[in-house]
Amino acid sequence: MSRVQVESLGVRVGEATLLDEVSLRVEPGEWVTVIGPNGAGKTTLVEVIMGLRRSVSGVVRLEGRAGSALSERERARLVSLVPQHPEVPAGMTVADYVDLGRVARRGWVRAASSEDWRVVGAVMARLGLSGLSGRDVASLSGGERQRAVLGRALAQGAPLMVLDEPITGLDLRHQMELLELLRREVESGLSVLATLHDLTLAGQFADRLVLLDAGRVVLDAPAREVVRHPELAARYAMELRVVEIDGADVVVPVRRAGSRR
Amino acid sequence: MGVATASLVLLAAAVLGGLAIGPTPIGTGRILGDALSHLGLGHGTLSPLQSTIIWQLRAPRLVLGLLSGAMLAVAGGSYQGVFRNPLADPYLLGVAAGAGLGATFAIVRAGAEATPSWTPLLAFAGALAAVGATWLLGGRARHAAGSSLILAGVAVSSLLTSAQTFLQQSSTSSIARVYIWLLGSLASASWHSVFIVLPYVVVSVLICLSAARALDVMSVGEDESRSLGLPVRRVRLLVIAASSLGTAAVVSVAGLIGFVGIIVPHLVRLLVGTSYRRILPISVVGGAAFLVLCDTIARTALAPSELPIGVVTALVGAPVFVLVLNLRRRAR
Repeated sequence: MSRVQVESLGVRVGEATLLDEVSLRVEPGEWVTVIGPNGAGKTTLVEVIMGLRRSVSGVVRLEGRAGSALSERERARLVSLVPQHPEVPAGMTVADYVDLGRVARRGWVRAASSEDWRVVGAVMARLGLSGLSGRDVASLSGGERQRAVLGRALAQGAPLMVLDEPITGLDLRHQMELLELLRREVESGLSVLATLHDLTLAGQFADRLVLLDAGRVVLDAPAREVVRHPELAARYAMELRVVEIDGADVVVPVRRAGSRR
Repeated sequence: MGVATASLVLLAAAVLGGLAIGPTPIGTGRILGDALSHLGLGHGTLSPLQSTIIWQLRAPRLVLGLLSGAMLAVAGGSYQGVFRNPLADPYLLGVAAGAGLGATFAIVRAGAEATPSWTPLLAFAGALAAVGATWLLGGRARHAAGSSLILAGVAVSSLLTSAQTFLQQSSTSSIARVYIWLLGSLASASWHSVFIVLPYVVVSVLICLSAARALDVMSVGEDESRSLGLPVRRVRLLVIAASSLGTAAVVSVAGLIGFVGIIVPHLVRLLVGTSYRRILPISVVGGAAFLVLCDTIARTALAPSELPIGVVTALVGAPVFVLVLNLRRRAR
């Protein structure tokens, strides 16, 4: 059964159509990345899947269950979120921050059990956060902070993780590091639905790419096909080249001849 | 000594001081002896008059002060968490304006006579009606529900306060008594009023304390909290209902005591950090101690006349707050 199945989703705000007949699915152990120019509807799609925004038509199914019928807690056991701009609370330790993910499991009244702390410890070890467990999360560097957010999402233990532009603001090394960590989780069964602006990284890490433009799905195919598809450059309204280096596709924007000096 | 222990010591000092200090000073040792004798241990040495002063005048006033201080402080702290707004206090959603209008109506209706005995009832009803109206106006908005509630609270409060002012100005004979009520006072405390307020305060404080973990989750914002599995709207409604009920009960018998609900949780936050699991329980103890200390000052500083307790809470609270704020900054 698909981890998430989006069928004919439509979202409108006033006169504007943000999503129009959008359908996609993510299977167990699969990484799907949604790409597309600014305003394509990527974040809107994330919000509808997370139950933070209502659609006017269509349905989101998580493990076959209609998303609109789920309580917050039920949903949080099926899907976790790494938001585009996580709010970083002041004065909370990294361990407590990662433990926020366990609320989906134990509810909001009970204290963390030894099982909760075991999961939090294991997640932090996997992400190289163990040495930072007592640090104030607000004092972390950008790369460390994003790993803590990833840790919080992993601690939820949900089979699907949705990430909205998770590498925004990170330097190249930390971008790669975060995506490699995520890839390792996918190898052990996690499903990922991410949005990314960097087409090279999108192509290198995802199994499938979904190109969204003006609220519609333009392409939905294996990553290698999408990065080479003429429609990709057309939708970004620019010239793109794909260079293969050691078997990996690198998508390079080319400055138009007329604008070169 | 930890902050929790220190607040308990402060509470014990406030309780003993509240019983011992007054126009008739009575030693704490003799008060404790008398208390034990009531429990069948030893013999009390208080005269019947002293015993009446302690157990029928000072004790109920003390207990009402403890309940009111605890309630206002925990409600203020919970509101600051649930709205993620440091300026939130228990009166944010209209409790004060509603209670003020109810009480003013009762006092003005009674005309030149004394403040009527049904004043608390109208104040209580007014407070709950005001919060209900705020919730109906602002609580159903889908987006930014927190700020829409605060704005609705501002609108309801302004409307009710203008009605209250109009009513108050229309009757010059009762204006002084309206003012006395508005400034808050524990002077009319009796065991009767204590037992009326007690159940509301106990239930409300327990609900707020049990929401402390949820308030910690909410520090990452509404959307993220929901994605973490927190039923944000339900928690918010629960905390608002509990805080409003408890605050309305306290306000109906003690009037509008200001400053406790905002200063105590902030003071505690400065001392113990940002987790509501620590802020709320210590605010309960600290708020109780703080209000009793302020009341002891209010009734003795200018004896035999009394200072309005709201004046004392601000006069004592503001300098202490600034002092702690500065010490913390220097420590960093």
